[in-house]
Amino acid sequence: MKDSVNEAEFQINDYIRLDQMPHFLCPGCGHGIALRALLWAVHELGIDKDKLAVVSGIGCSGRLSAYVDANSFHTTHGRPLAFATGLALARPDLHVIVITGDGDSLAIGGNHLIHACRRNLNMTCMMLNNEIYGMTGGQVSPTTTSNRYTTTTPAGNTEPVFDACALATAAGAGFVGREVTMQVTGLKNLLRDAIAHDGFSFVEVISDCTEIYGRKNDLGVSPEMMLSQKAGMRPEAYRNTVDVPFKPNALECGMLAKNDRPEYGATYRAMVDRIRGKGA
Amino acid sequence: MAEKKNGPTNVLIVGVGGQGVIMVSKVLAMLCQNHGYEVKQSEVHGMAKRGGGVFSHVRFGSSVWSPTIPVGEADVLVALEWAEALRWINYMNPQTGTFIADTQKIVPPFACRVRDRGADAMYSEETPAEIMENVRAGYAMDATSIAEDLGNLKAANTVLLGALSNSLEFSVDAWLEVIRSFVPPKSIDINMEAFAKGREWAQAGPKRVDENAKGRGVSGRDLHKQVETKLEITEEWCKGCDICVKMCPERCLRLNDQLISELHKPDACTGCRMCEWLCPDFAIKITNTPIMEPAE
Ligand code: SF4
Ligand code: SF4
Repeated sequence: MKDSVNEAEFQINDYIRLDQMPHFLCPGCGHGIALRALLWAVHELGIDKDKLAVVSGIGCSGRLSAYVDANSFHTTHGRPLAFATGLALARPDLHVIVITGDGDSLAIGGNHLIHACRRNLNMTCMMLNNEIYGMTGGQVSPTTTSNRYTTTTPAGNTEPVFDACALATAAGAGFVGREVTMQVTGLKNLLRDAIAHDGFSFVEVISDCTEIYGRKNDLGVSPEMMLSQKAGMRPEAYRNTVDVPFKPNALECGMLAKNDRPEYGATYRAMVDRIRGKGA
Repeated sequence: MAEKKNGPTNVLIVGVGGQGVIMVSKVLAMLCQNHGYEVKQSEVHGMAKRGGGVFSHVRFGSSVWSPTIPVGEADVLVALEWAEALRWINYMNPQTGTFIADTQKIVPPFACRVRDRGADAMYSEETPAEIMENVRAGYAMDATSIAEDLGNLKAANTVLLGALSNSLEFSVDAWLEVIRSFVPPKSIDINMEAFAKGREWAQAGPKRVDENAKGRGVSGRDLHKQVETKLEITEEWCKGCDICVKMCPERCLRLNDQLISELHKPDACTGCRMCEWLCPDFAIKITNTPIMEPAE
């Protein structure tokens, strides 16, 4: 663990830009809960806000960086990991946290994600998976569950879905985990471990899009969606049920992979020192 | 207690999961078998992992037909937990039975009905002294503390075996030999001592209550400080998503006619913070201030 654990009680208002509130997210959007969990984890690790950099791309998730009262960086679609890579290499003293969405990181930014995992540079990527491109009008995303309706799949989605955590694990990320927003304290702990991990950490948060996705697919409003996501965490209990909740073939939650591959920033700096004739 | 002329000797051993009820009954059954008795043992331990009730009937004699003890016919009731002792007390023979119980309390989750922070659990209120007035013979002893003083809480069941040994006619050496074969090698010495302590404690007479035994169970008040909860809702930030209303375990929030969350049952709120944590719009703030107990 890089920083001491902070004993003071967490107050979200210390970490958000109050002049930007209320935020623009729809009623019941799980992204707000994920943001709270992230800031709570930052608070528990005792990270100084001046040493925190939040980078995000485009989409509903992309707006979250603007609400964090820290160094924040709103970048182009799919590229937050690329920007963050440069930032983390240039400023190893910063805690770089990337907030991205399923479309942002798996579709348009898919290659950046794979290579960020491969390099294992010290940063944390929180991917908010709401199974839809919400901000642009509800197009199908790589994680949209089969047979669900979106504006671009009016007859139901026929494509198979991406398992982002399996992808990140296979590509070599140092820390991989997944959690639902309903388990907010578990999510906070997972994010805390992810931020403390020295290497590339990838956390998928199963979030809910009530307005654009839930409504179209008759998944209920946000409390129902959150509860069914939580129920979906227990695949052994819900597999093969007719009344399938949020996600058929529910995915495992918690920390899914952790390894101690060399951290890229350290390797890189060692090389620089070597070329400049410093160090061994 | 000698074998009754007209039937087997019945020993009922009760407790909760993890205390060693089964170990106690195995020791006893083996001991009886070594002495040439016919032994039948029957147990239920399904809920053991969750701290649920465990019981074991041990019957021995020259011939034993049924493996279970009828109500009111147990010659000895050995209870490793206080509430379990009371739960099974009707199985004890009122005229001839001996009651041996640890005064330790293990409060089951279902006894925690009042959901306020720091609320007392609904655990049986009878004190060991009250119960002992109504039994013919027996011991209410703080076996767990005795075992703890010896250095291993888990030896509490052996302390009770020591007390039980006074009620059955087997030699101390026979008991110790069987116990030695059942406990892990590392804890043999502690168990030998525990047995001796239990036996000695119960030799004082047919009835003995540990006057100081208050039960070791924790009450809610020890675990959670009582707090005063203040719930503030930033109305301008609330979007009426209903999450806090549906997720509050006490159902004490509701949406008002403007579709803004409001606290309509302030007394029911326990300050659990669920609403604060799950509000995606950061509109709820809970402040729990511990209530200071007045100095005595
Ligand atoms: S969870 Fe928050 S935004 Fe939703 S109704 Fe409750 S207070 Fe309002
Ligand atoms: S703190 Fe919130 S969720 Fe908990 S009981 Fe009170 S109103 Fe309900």
